[in-house]
Amino acid sequence: MSTHSTRNMSTLIVEEEIQLTLVELCQACNAPAEYVSAWVYEGVLTPSGQTPEDWRFSGESLRRAQQARWLARDMEVNAQGVGIVLDLLDEIAALQSRLQRAGLR
Amino acid sequence: MKFQDYYAILGVPRSATQDEIKRAYRKLARKHHPDVSKDADAEARFKELGEAYAVLKDPEKRAAYDQVGQNWKAGQDFQPPPGWDAGFEFRGAGADDGLDASDFFEALFGRRARAEQHYRGPDRSHAHRGQDHHAKVLIDLEDAYHGAQRSISLRMPALDARGQLVLQSRTLDITIPKGIRAGQHLRLAGQGEPGLGGGPAGDLFLEIGFNPHPHYHVEGRDVFANLPLAPWEAALGCSLNLPTPEGPVQVTVPERSAAGRQLRLRGKGIPGKPAGDFYFVLAIVLPPALTDADKAAYRAFANAFHFDPRATPAPSRKVDPR
Repeated sequence: MSTHSTRNMSTLIVEEEIQLTLVELCQACNAPAEYVSAWVYEGVLTPSGQTPEDWRFSGESLRRAQQARWLARDMEVNAQGVGIVLDLLDEIAALQSRLQRAGLR
Repeated sequence: MKFQDYYAILGVPRSATQDEIKRAYRKLARKHHPDVSKDADAEARFKELGEAYAVLKDPEKRAAYDQVGQNWKAGQDFQPPPGWDAGFEFRGAGADDGLDASDFFEALFGRRARAEQHYRGPDRSHAHRGQDHHAKVLIDLEDAYHGAQRSISLRMPALDARGQLVLQSRTLDITIPKGIRAGQHLRLAGQGEPGLGGGPAGDLFLEIGFNPHPHYHVEGRDVFANLPLAPWEAALGCSLNLPTPEGPVQVTVPERSAAGRQLRLRGKGIPGKPAGDFYFVLAIVLPPALTDADKAAYRAFANAFHFDPRATPAPSRKVDPR
């Protein structure tokens, strides 16, 4: 096995320091632009900017887009369904953290 | 590298139709999706399912896998026979969700197939950007409080000068920024798959997770620790010197504290704007009555109170407002 090492990486926190363009988000979650656009029009992702060229996605969009891509590609859920599933998952996560906070879990 | 039995992973016979494979995958994927399942190994299981499905759902990959898989059983040491993929042409990219596939998958369908496809593909004159790669890295909670330099090691298959597939291990020295939280990603520009035909390299995304900690439990920005108290400490109140990831703090437990009460140290969670909070969750621990003297003390305790724990309504858990 060959080994090489890379030094002095500059790292950025995606969720806090980066905004992604449509092209960058498509590359990062490996989804075609038509899918990502459909998710935007369904309100699954909410970039700033008016036209697809101007869209800027928050770093938080990465996880959401990855989940959406899995639902769309492997589970064949359409864009509306993706929106509903992701909202429900968010709600479950919020409820679970409230349970945890209340010491009930 | 070990041979992976993709049919066994999906629980279908080798004769399964494409529809049966799809149904089996969806049923298992729903059960093991990490956002739904709370099993510790849900993530590994889900990844394994995704990989099996990526091969078996694609008739070309499935046919190639069936051919090479006749002579192996799950877990056996595996090397792809030379030229095993002659006559197959894979249209899609290899690990087509960009996730970290197993060595086995990469050996069969990974970068080698992509590279060969590129060289015989119609667009060989075009530069091609490398794919973004994803990996998960576990750090200590303390690293998120203070920031840290960490060396991480990643393995990925690559082609050597003779076009043979080799496992390449690389070490990346990365800066863990102060204030990072579990579930966030670091982007390392240009550290993904190298570009083809002079194209730029893809990026590497590292998803951060925390190593399990014996004392602290993390929820987003907030950090929780259990605080065991003797009954008299909870009843009378006390002042304690306690460890936190930021160092020791002086904590006042108010008198008449009940189990489950949370004491908040504002801004002592994971640093950031805003910083998270740190919570001590009170638990009351009864001393065991082992000796005669212990028992006498409990009897004196009982005589001092006319207390029937079943006569009063159960106290509601008190949670400090956030």
